[in-house]
Amino acid sequence: MAEALRRTWQATPDPKFVVAVGDCGRDGGLFCGSYAVVGGVGDVIPIDAVIPGCPPSPAALLTGLLEVIGRLSR
Amino acid sequence: MNLLAYALIVVVGVAAVGVGGYGLLGGVAALRLDWLVPLGGLDLVLDPLGGLFLALIGFTAVPVSVYAMGYHDGSERGRLAYVVFVVSMCLVPLAANTMTFLLAWELMSLASYFLVVHDRTSRESIQAGWIYAVMTHAGLACLLGGMLLLGAETGSLRFADWQAAAPALTATTRNTAFVLLALGFAGKAGVIPLHVWLPLAHPAAPSHVSALMSGVMIKLGVYGLLRVSFDWLGAGPTWWGATLLIAGAVSSVVGVLYALVEHDLKRLLAFHSIENIGIILLGIGSAAVYHVAGHDALAVLGLIAALYHTVNHAAFKALLFLGAGAVVHATGTRNMEAMGGLIKRMPWTAACFLIGSAAIAALPPLNGFVSEWLTFLALFQNTHLAAVGQHLIFTLGIASLALTGGLAMACFVKAFGITFLALPRSDAAGHAHEASWPMRVGMLGLAATCVALGLGPTLVVPALGPVAAAVLRTTPLASGAEGLTLRVAGDFASLSTAIIAIALALAILAPLVILRIAGASRRSRAYETWGCGRIVQTARMEYTATAFANPFKRVFDFFYRPTKRLDIEFHPESRFFVERIEYENPTRSIFEDWLYRPALHALQAGARAATTLQSGSTNLYLAYILAALLLMLVLA
Repeated sequence: MAEALRRTWQATPDPKFVVAVGDCGRDGGLFCGSYAVVGGVGDVIPIDAVIPGCPPSPAALLTGLLEVIGRLSR
Repeated sequence: MNLLAYALIVVVGVAAVGVGGYGLLGGVAALRLDWLVPLGGLDLVLDPLGGLFLALIGFTAVPVSVYAMGYHDGSERGRLAYVVFVVSMCLVPLAANTMTFLLAWELMSLASYFLVVHDRTSRESIQAGWIYAVMTHAGLACLLGGMLLLGAETGSLRFADWQAAAPALTATTRNTAFVLLALGFAGKAGVIPLHVWLPLAHPAAPSHVSALMSGVMIKLGVYGLLRVSFDWLGAGPTWWGATLLIAGAVSSVVGVLYALVEHDLKRLLAFHSIENIGIILLGIGSAAVYHVAGHDALAVLGLIAALYHTVNHAAFKALLFLGAGAVVHATGTRNMEAMGGLIKRMPWTAACFLIGSAAIAALPPLNGFVSEWLTFLALFQNTHLAAVGQHLIFTLGIASLALTGGLAMACFVKAFGITFLALPRSDAAGHAHEASWPMRVGMLGLAATCVALGLGPTLVVPALGPVAAAVLRTTPLASGAEGLTLRVAGDFASLSTAIIAIALALAILAPLVILRIAGASRRSRAYETWGCGRIVQTARMEYTATAFANPFKRVFDFFYRPTKRLDIEFHPESRFFVERIEYENPTRSIFEDWLYRPALHALQAGARAATTLQSGSTNLYLAYILAALLLMLVLA
């Protein structure tokens, strides 16, 4: 999936935000350290925000997204 | 030697444009050489209609010949046939008596026959040449019959005398002559169902010849139909025009339907020629009906639409055939499924082909749009007619023109997209080379013509008005052009392609300018096409022409009557592993199955029955002679 992710990121025109959602997106979550996992999304492409949780609670999702928008207005 | 022959045709073409232009503007000239050919001598007369077609032939022949200089394909024989072909075509619209006309017509047919069978080793082209020869000579037989009938009834073989004598002829004679002559000319024009030779002969000929055959030669069939419907026989009954209109409606829809499922690039273009001849016939048919009903102004409008489309089709169809020729030359195949990605390797050809595609698909502001718009307007004026039947026929024409326009658009999205875009589908397409300079010059000339004819209807329509008026023998309309806007049928409708072009250009430029003003960054990043994150992308994953045409095949199932054949070879161990899969979904031609094959069978059965007459016995033959002699004596 790493290569597919990299290509998808490349194919998306700027401006763009990448948000890694969930523990799996953050660092591999339950499968962290497994030989089949490269790591989190952030290890493959640059990310703008991480929303932890398995699954992330609505409040966490909102916080994460607001964080991204906060960067936008900054 | 190669260059010399084509340079000669360029000179002939320029001369034809000059002479034709002189005739178009109302100049009159005549040439008569009694000693040259028997039965009336060589008799040439220049009039506005003849002048228009002569100028059209010359105008198309020049870029096509320039193209041919870079298209190393012709043998010595091919070049000779090419020269004879163009010169005889130039004579056809000038011919003023039967003998001159038929000689020029037959010379044109024979020369084009030799060009069709130029590849003498290919079974396909010999078959195409054979069918072409049969169809063109069946047409010639009809023409000969009609012309001799008129000659016998009027006592003259000169066309001008027919015009004078036409009102005095009986209705039966005029109708018979019309049917015979119209059949002959419609066969040459490729009107459904006499079209069978066209999709075979055009692809078999070299591309510059296809361009002339499709762009100009079939137009001489249109020329003949114009002469028959309006000139030689005077105004006829309404059913003449109605028949032409219905034939046009059927040809346009059927032509484009066949083109949609065709994946041979040149055959696809040949089917589009049938479609466009149909559109031209819609204009001619409406003009004929209006003329009989006494609406001369509307008849002029219909005829202007038909003539404009004739000129336009010559420009964009010749361009498309030249483009297809360059592609076929570069890839060595005519199958679109083996092309693709050519826009990167042949940018000039691709640009020219795109202009031609947009023009034939009637996109504004190009020329196809203007003439189809005029045809629509001519058909929409049917409210001026009284009879309900005529309204229905005109509505049929409008509906078929609308359907044709949409399907033609779809077809050229396919033709351009599959041929030029995406990844190359074969090694040959991957190693394609751009066309040589003379070929590019020829194509660019025609592309420029398409744009000019699209942007300049205010100049073209007033030029065609007097021609249409001369054909109908009425006074020309007051010119409907003001500045850049064309007005039609009073204030019924107006069009300005120049303003459309400016608006389109602004629509493209405005966002760029606004972004620049807004200070957007102009940095751009090129990356390969997104394939859903797929790692390996091959040409096999691309959309194919077959897939593109499949929805249409399903919708028009009743017309295509496709047959399906699925052949799967399984792995011997398990049915879940497929070793080889073959799928065929060919369409069947209604006209071959229901018209030509039964006709051929009847002919063969008749011939077999007639062989009983020929027993080989000399005594019996002597008896035949005696019987014939006695019969002659009794009848005399």
